[in-house]
Amino acid sequence: MVYIVSWDEFVDRSVQLFRADPESTRYVMKYRHCDGKLVLKVTDNKECLKFKTDQAQEAKKMEKLNNIFFTLMARGPDVDLSEVAGKEQMETQPVKKGRGRKQ
Amino acid sequence: MVLLQLDPFLNELTSMFEKSKEKGSVWVTLKRSSLKSKVQKRKLSSAGESIEYRCLIRATDAKKSISTSVGAKDHQRFQASYATILKAHMTTLKKRERKDRKKSTEAEKKEGTSTTKKKL
Repeated sequence: MVYIVSWDEFVDRSVQLFRADPESTRYVMKYRHCDGKLVLKVTDNKECLKFKTDQAQEAKKMEKLNNIFFTLMARGPDVDLSEVAGKEQMETQPVKKGRGRKQ
Repeated sequence: MVLLQLDPFLNELTSMFEKSKEKGSVWVTLKRSSLKSKVQKRKLSSAGESIEYRCLIRATDAKKSISTSVGAKDHQRFQASYATILKAHMTTLKKRERKDRKKSTEAEKKEGTSTTKKKL
């Protein structure tokens, strides 16, 4: 099985795979609490990409990937992914606007 | 395969995670689907109508399997609840940072440097 070491590479290649064939690409997640292991798989039935981890910080990154896939799948593969990242930016922007008084 | 509405699906998913704590796995699969047969798809595309796609989500704990489908309107709400459930249950994953800090501070002590950097 093709286990990818770099998280970013896994994300890029999975999104590419999905965009190339949205009809047959699926994203599978398997979690084993007793072993404390998480395995992710993205496949279009021709090619298969896998990622495994036991790190909590990777689980946080996986949540972002989940968001990406939900958006891609629900809205369509042509959705601009900066929307997903854009939401995070939207949350941080109002914090910067501290001085709002121009008089 | 039991097809459920969003909220019952989330409840069942939570109970699956709880049952699998001692042993066993939970699988969750995400796939895009229009939930229509090929014949229906051909009819729709020849009629010039756009096919509405949904995100199909399946979950199984090797004994029972459940599924639900999420449309573009519901997906944000679902993804927030789903993220909460995952965060709550994925507690056995290791936190790497402490080990790295320990290793780096031990290495620094061995080398004889006294600078301690805390990365937050």
